[in-house]
Amino acid sequence: MGVSRAKIPWCPTIDYAKCDFCMECDEFCPHGVFERREGDRKLVVAHPENCVVFCKACGKTCGPDALSFPDKKETTELIKRLREEGKDGG
Amino acid sequence: MADSENDTEQTEIVVLPCSGLDKEAGSASRELALLLSDRGARIVCPVLYERSPKRYEKDLGAGRLVVIDGCKTGCASKLAAERGLKTARKLTVTEAAKQQGVEAGKDPRLGSALRDLLPELVEEILATGLVKAEGAEGALFQETVSYQEFGIDKFVFRVPTSGYFFNENDCWARVDGPRARVGVSDYVQQSASDMVFFEPPALGAEVSIFDEVGSLETTKTALDIISPVSGKVVAINSEVVEAPDLINENPYERGWAVELELTDFGSDRELLMDSAEYFEYLKRKAEGEHEALYGK
Repeated sequence: MGVSRAKIPWCPTIDYAKCDFCMECDEFCPHGVFERREGDRKLVVAHPENCVVFCKACGKTCGPDALSFPDKKETTELIKRLREEGKDGG
Repeated sequence: MADSENDTEQTEIVVLPCSGLDKEAGSASRELALLLSDRGARIVCPVLYERSPKRYEKDLGAGRLVVIDGCKTGCASKLAAERGLKTARKLTVTEAAKQQGVEAGKDPRLGSALRDLLPELVEEILATGLVKAEGAEGALFQETVSYQEFGIDKFVFRVPTSGYFFNENDCWARVDGPRARVGVSDYVQQSASDMVFFEPPALGAEVSIFDEVGSLETTKTALDIISPVSGKVVAINSEVVEAPDLINENPYERGWAVELELTDFGSDRELLMDSAEYFEYLKRKAEGEHEALYGK
């Protein structure tokens, strides 16, 4: 997309009030976005930069609907803006 | 194709619902199956089917299978996939309810808000299979497609040499004049394995670049088709609805998923890779993944 991945804030957010730590999302995701931990929060989004921009596939595995994603339209607008700025700067 | 579609319209509906009793959505799924039964559908009890699959052999061969999941855990659709059942339609109650602004609750008893949605869902399900493909006729999408390929170990990945545009979600748009066909790449079909279910978007839906235009389920995973272009859904490939493994056989041509009337390709194009760029991108990506798994 012509924009550094680090500048695109796209990744899942876990709602810990809903998550039952079934780990379906972690088992599903081939990109290593999640990590399992000890303690109350047994799963965290440890590597957001690995998440494929606009992919919401892990959310489809979530029975308790505990995963949410950024607004797609806003993200697209941001990418377009960053591209323009990149052109201006370069 | 027209004959097979007409045949499809004549057949009965067989329902495989979730019978989950731990959430309201499970109760709604069961109730929905009963309402469909009132309209002539055959019900497959998932518990009995798990225990004695032969009991339902005849019913499952009698019509189009509609799978109703209560929530996204997807027990009913997983059961269908495990048994290799061909699914004509899948519905997830929590998602359908959410679209109507209703949140399914944790109390397993069926509340009035969710109950009130069910008659509409019954009608929607009964219309399953009535979607017609109205792909572009005449001169569009007729050009011969040529390919380039690269190999990693036993895998060979193909990419068209021109006429296709890709996003980083490995979805393509084949653009021809005012229209584009959209599908998933050869890399997706090989990574995700055998396609078992394609849930198409609504005909006439307006989509923006990066919106979902349907979802796929395979024997390994589930994934969305992320549209590389903005436009209006003017056709759905009914061949792929009927036999999703056509995507495995021929991902870039006969395995197209939807056709769009383009609305802003000039702007969309800036965010896409052309065939040559995608070829290099995919090569780097596939090599990186192979290296991460097996080392250099």
